[in-house]
Amino acid sequence: MIATTELTLWTDVFSTKTGAVYQCDAERCWYVDFAGKVARFDHRNFLKLRKAVYAIDIEQKLLNTTTDPDVEIIFICACDHCYVLSLAQIISLRELLEGTFVMLELNHIIHDRLYSNSL
Amino acid sequence: MKDLLRIKSLISSDIEALLNQQVKKEAFSSSAYLAMASWCNRNGYDFSSEYFFKQAEEERHHQLKFYKYILDMGGNAVSPEVTGIKQEYNSFREVFEDALDQEISVTNAIKNIYARCMKEQDFVTMEFLNWFLKEQREEEYKARRALELFEVIGEEGTGRWQIDKHVGQIKYDSEA
Repeated sequence: MIATTELTLWTDVFSTKTGAVYQCDAERCWYVDFAGKVARFDHRNFLKLRKAVYAIDIEQKLLNTTTDPDVEIIFICACDHCYVLSLAQIISLRELLEGTFVMLELNHIIHDRLYSNSL
Repeated sequence: MKDLLRIKSLISSDIEALLNQQVKKEAFSSSAYLAMASWCNRNGYDFSSEYFFKQAEEERHHQLKFYKYILDMGGNAVSPEVTGIKQEYNSFREVFEDALDQEISVTNAIKNIYARCMKEQDFVTMEFLNWFLKEQREEEYKARRALELFEVIGEEGTGRWQIDKHVGQIKYDSEA
């Protein structure tokens, strides 16, 4: 999980076949490599992205038999990035974010148990 | 790898969501009390109306306390939408029954947040909530006492007039 390279100073947080999330400690932000682009998210926007993606009712979309295209536009207020995703991509992005936040939670536990106590 | 989420916020996202729910609950309570104040005023129960105006003010104060705490801890406080406030009541007594139900539900909600904090060992939020737990003692006592007046005075004759007069005097000054 923690494979920092000297050049970029990005740490792999989590990756799947379709994308990856990296953390940049120096800039205190995350880079999301997904849907053909690498987008930078600060703390606020990253949480907003998670909220927006989790709010999509995938089951309802799967059951929806109308002729509307299965496309979701994820737009985050005060953020430069916008995603226009198909249903399969939404599922992938959700999987990516879920894994990412589990890893961040794990990182938090490690910090709590190992570093905080040894200070 | 730095723990960026922790650097930005003292409270976890779960606790933040619960606290935001509580902000909404307190806002709802405040609006519900305002509706009660209006109903009492329209029906000639001026002391009770005044009592509910004060309660509405208090709930608003609680709401802001939660709101500011979330912000101070680095979270995102969400200004709540409040809808579905009951405006009409069938009887004077029903107003106070609803008020007690409201307070019981607030106490339960705070207990739930406390339980979650214990699970996460979020002692900071637990300490913050202690004030509210103590406050709920007073709130529930007052609501229960008001209903008690219906029993001891009775609604017959000038009973409701008497009850209204005494509601304005309800106080909780226990040192327990």
